[in-house]
Amino acid sequence: MKASEAWSPDELLTRASAGESAAFAALVRRYQRTVYSIALRMLSDRQRAEDLAQEVFLQLYRSMDSIDSDSHLAFWLRKVAVNRAIDRIRQEARHDSEPLTEAAAVVGEVGDADPLLQRRMAELVSQLTPAARAVVVLRYQEDLDPVDIASTLDMPINTVKSHLKRSLTILRARVLGAAIVDDVQPSMSERSP
Amino acid sequence: MSKDFEQQLRDALRPVDPEEGFEQRVMARVAREPAGLRSKIKRWTATLAIAASLAFVAILGAYQWQERREQQGLEARRQLLEALRVTGEKLDVAYQAVNRESPPPTDDGSGA
Repeated sequence: MKASEAWSPDELLTRASAGESAAFAALVRRYQRTVYSIALRMLSDRQRAEDLAQEVFLQLYRSMDSIDSDSHLAFWLRKVAVNRAIDRIRQEARHDSEPLTEAAAVVGEVGDADPLLQRRMAELVSQLTPAARAVVVLRYQEDLDPVDIASTLDMPINTVKSHLKRSLTILRARVLGAAIVDDVQPSMSERSP
Repeated sequence: MSKDFEQQLRDALRPVDPEEGFEQRVMARVAREPAGLRSKIKRWTATLAIAASLAFVAILGAYQWQERREQQGLEARRQLLEALRVTGEKLDVAYQAVNRESPPPTDDGSGA
């Protein structure tokens, strides 16, 4: 067992802020799954997700002095990961690059759930607008409630709720192969405000 | 149904681990950061704080020195005025004494 694993979250934070590499590496280990998963769901590409996740941790390294608690750290990482991902999607849209979707359907290991259905759902989430995708990812991947999502995304709570409602309707319709597919398509391609 | 659907969504969006060695790759990038950027920033902050403290002490010292000079000037002025007053008084006394000792000359020959 590494010594850093015995440190409490606050001790880890204090040591990392003081510039201790082992403590910072332990923070990376602790939050890599969260940051990478957000990046992957937002960008739908393993390589770009890895790159973005690394940049988030680099930014954290430079900003350690501004982090004051473990809960603040989790909030900060989610916020930076989502915002960076949205920025990157917008930059790429300006440069007309074709979004990659090979990893869109990457799903975590789940016991007896239907892997095909999960793959399809993950793929559909990757087709939502960036803002709606961020809301869905924070709600169903990170298990945040709408208030926390609103604060993470600097978004009014009612906008969060409407994104959630609308996204669920779209996803359900597409998964169930309902006849409203044609109505759904324009909504899915709309830009976030 | 809705709950089932949301659960299915949770299952589909279950967090995924990055490729093996992610932590090492991040730490390698951290190591490539411009030589001790954070410690440089801290050093600069400390230097600025020291410089600001020194400037404050210097300004305070200059102010106190100026204050002392003003007090000394006022004191010197007060002493000068006092000396002038004392001298004036003494001159008055001397003048009166001289006037008393030598009475004004009388006209002694013209009327004899």
